[in-house]
Amino acid sequence: MRRAGRAPSPTIEPATLAERLRRTRELVAAPRIARDSGPAPDPALVSARLAALSVRPRVRLRWSPVEAADVAPFAIRVLGRMGFGPRPGDIEAFNALAGSDSARLGAYIEEQLFPDSINDGDLDNRLVAAGLTTLAKTRDKLWADHVAGNPDWYVRLLPAIEIERAAFLRAIYSRRQLFEVLADFWHDHFNVYGWDYISAPTWVYYDRDVIRANVLGNFRTMLGLVAASPAMMVYLNTDANTVAGPNENYARELCELHTLGAENYLGVVHQDQVPHDAQGRPIGYADDDVYEITRCFTGWTLDEDTGATIFRTDRHDRFQKHVLGRYIAASQAPFKDGNDVLDSLASHPGTARFIARKLCRRLIGDEPPQRVVDEAAAAFAATVNAPDQLRQVVRAILLSEEFATTWAAKVKRPFEVVVSALRAAGAEISFALNSHLTDSFFWLFEATGHAKFSWRPPNGYPDAMNEWLSTATLVPTWRVVNWTIWASDEQRGNVPVVDLIHQSPAGVTTARGLADFWIQRILGRPMSESARTEVIEFLAQGRNPDVPLHLSDDDVESRLYAMAALIAMAPQFLWR
Amino acid sequence: MVDTTRRGFIVGCSAAIAAMAGSRLTYAAFGDPDGSREVLVVVFLRGGADLLSLVAPIAGPDRSLYEAARPELRLPTSGDGALLPLDAQFGLHAAAAPLHTLFQSGKVAIVHGCGMNVDTRSHFDAQEFMELGTPGTRSVSTGWLTRLLGSAPAPASAALMPSLAVGNSQPTSLLGDRRTVSMDSPGDFNISTGPWMWRDAQRLALHRLYTRGDTAVHRAGIQAMNAMDLVEAFAGDDVPAANGAVYPDSDFGRHMRLIAQMIKLDVGLRAVAVDLGGWDTHENEAYGAGGYFADLAGNLSQATAALYQDLDGSATDAASKRLTVVVMSEFGRRVRENAARGTDHGHGFPIVVVGGSVIGGLHGVWPGLAPDQLYDGADVAVTTDYRRVLADIVVRRFANPHLSQVFPGYTGYTPLGIVAGTDLITL
Repeated sequence: MRRAGRAPSPTIEPATLAERLRRTRELVAAPRIARDSGPAPDPALVSARLAALSVRPRVRLRWSPVEAADVAPFAIRVLGRMGFGPRPGDIEAFNALAGSDSARLGAYIEEQLFPDSINDGDLDNRLVAAGLTTLAKTRDKLWADHVAGNPDWYVRLLPAIEIERAAFLRAIYSRRQLFEVLADFWHDHFNVYGWDYISAPTWVYYDRDVIRANVLGNFRTMLGLVAASPAMMVYLNTDANTVAGPNENYARELCELHTLGAENYLGVVHQDQVPHDAQGRPIGYADDDVYEITRCFTGWTLDEDTGATIFRTDRHDRFQKHVLGRYIAASQAPFKDGNDVLDSLASHPGTARFIARKLCRRLIGDEPPQRVVDEAAAAFAATVNAPDQLRQVVRAILLSEEFATTWAAKVKRPFEVVVSALRAAGAEISFALNSHLTDSFFWLFEATGHAKFSWRPPNGYPDAMNEWLSTATLVPTWRVVNWTIWASDEQRGNVPVVDLIHQSPAGVTTARGLADFWIQRILGRPMSESARTEVIEFLAQGRNPDVPLHLSDDDVESRLYAMAALIAMAPQFLWR
Repeated sequence: MVDTTRRGFIVGCSAAIAAMAGSRLTYAAFGDPDGSREVLVVVFLRGGADLLSLVAPIAGPDRSLYEAARPELRLPTSGDGALLPLDAQFGLHAAAAPLHTLFQSGKVAIVHGCGMNVDTRSHFDAQEFMELGTPGTRSVSTGWLTRLLGSAPAPASAALMPSLAVGNSQPTSLLGDRRTVSMDSPGDFNISTGPWMWRDAQRLALHRLYTRGDTAVHRAGIQAMNAMDLVEAFAGDDVPAANGAVYPDSDFGRHMRLIAQMIKLDVGLRAVAVDLGGWDTHENEAYGAGGYFADLAGNLSQATAALYQDLDGSATDAASKRLTVVVMSEFGRRVRENAARGTDHGHGFPIVVVGGSVIGGLHGVWPGLAPDQLYDGADVAVTTDYRRVLADIVVRRFANPHLSQVFPGYTGYTPLGIVAGTDLITL
């Protein structure tokens, strides 16, 4: 009654899957060579790490606050932290990669670290089908089409709207899952409120050329592009920073949030009071460094006609500066003062530690052990000039014992909850422009407090469970999950977002059977007996759970949807 | 009278709510009859508010210094948008007229030169230090409001909702308090978005799933469901404000209205944290007494006055008598305006306290605007540790002598006298 049509069940195409398996097997077998850039990891090191993982007897999981029965299988632990959880078929594909957990992990890491080698045609088709028109525009074109001539507000916002939709499509449908997790990470790290006057129209550039182009590349390169991007320059007032009216907003957040971190901030002390490390550089930054950096970036601004980053000598403080123990000569070439500062910051060991800790926090757990942080920081410092620096840092983290043995040291944030629920349930959702379904979805999702690119302060969305395990997060997140699983697209013939009926195996018709199937599908593992009983009883509603149900009955069908959402709202689904 | 037939009761997920329904609205039993019924509302102005534009000099040498430092942003003393006099020396922003009316009736205390004696101009450091209650250190894992509740001589153990965070994230001041209910809008505070026919059964089943374990996730889930039951039963836009109070049509106005509703329920609410953001005014802060800052100040003032009025009935036990509202920010802003009609991060600022037990007037020591009086040559100095303002409320209103627990490392407290109450020997 509610639904006029039924969508075919989404499945993994066998040919694509076979191709993927073949390629990843080759990856495991072949010696690892640099594909596009940078030095290869030491094969001996990687082998030794993998060997160590495989000989370890059943490792005890670290800091696992869940009952032992609820420790997720290895595939779930990997797919839930290197990505947004499994889609139908992903667990089987992961387990088929190799003969042991460690070998599977090694193969999956090497596959995911080279996203360009992963066919993402399905996603590409979906991006086209969504009617997105700005994703290929250059920075100049974005400015010309969406800023110049002060167009309507919707035109101005369109690039941000399209990137928001693309972000959901990519997270849900891309096979380059690690890449999407990291893109999300770097958007948080270099946070800009994306819905503003200049950030919104140039958001395609910021997302594509500044963030995504460098997710597995070089940190200094990304830092430099961020510094000169219209979005960041306006967000943190670099464009208004002049010798006559210095504005320290960018300089301060550059130190505190983008590079050294608050952990390396020494407060209002004189530069000559800051202790030096063994290499003779200051161990951190002081307020005077912030003021000096502010001076270095005076003159950086935007050309209002073209959006180009330009240097205005008349606004630049040309005299000599002293930043982080380094003298910067007077009257340097345009942009050189600022670039010198970025060089110093990107190569500082404090930055290596700060970035390493944040990456470990995202990929492993809220309080990552110092050992793996140190290891990742060492990888960061050793590859400061490598074009694939961040790939090597991420590899070091993912190959760590801590990554392999950690579970439930972190919870999903609302974006991760909703995306992983839609992945697990085999959802078909277009996120098309001009879709009521899409508009309703975003209206509901905004209430979770995790709408894309909407965090106003420059520190980015928090990444620890204390910040998200609250009533204010859970209630609206449950609302989105409950709504989306049950939603159908009126504009497309009432096609359901999730086709539970056709995805349920033909022979499974009892409450017990359907509950077990959907528990396994959504959680990737069984529930404890007491929790499982609740789910079965909900679907049975007082009847014998072993008697076949008539799925064509509206009330049975709607109950099955309510049950699937119940599983996706259950406590077990929240852990990462 | 609250409508007891609203759905929250019937779902009956929460034992506490079910018991309340059975006892026919004697819900005060879920407050804390043995303990203090005081309630503290902390309004945090995120971004470092330019409160020199809220409370500005109107006369004397500081007026000249103020005018010289702020050729674009200075507020007039006469004509359109003139500052509203607080005394001979200071005036309140014209957009804050409702607050000025309350000030004149003695319900507003303003403390000059508050802040931390910590050298930071970082929003995130400053907010964290302030809300942890430990300037300069992050060694504690609980917020100061969490410890205020935890160290109370008569803990609110029976209270259904001892603390409330309004907005979307758990504020650091309530860090570590797992009983904090957080919410944004009462009408959307449910999970009735799935199949209509099964919404009650589904919610009951979900509640049961969250009772099958005792992890942080399980506990958070149960709390969320209890809170949904309570709010569904007793709050909403259809519950009218009292005493002619009019809230502004803004998120902050709705948040303050929700706070009033929760206070009226008398379910043991003691500490509320609510945010008002957008104060990081590096650019285009104001055009005289109009513009962006005036909108912020008007919103703040109207909503705060409406909260007080909503709770201020004629009854001798009017809730306004046990209400204290503290308005604070992480730091003030630079005295001298910048080239973009804005102000950069500064240091000291006035704390505004509103409530039925407030000793109205201007308090503390005005630090002055002369060059040798400024902090680091640029900012309003700090003459009163912000913890001293809060400690007055902790001791005199909450009768809690455990200052060393609420503010570890804070010594030398002497009463400031911003609220009425008894000075205890503090520990």
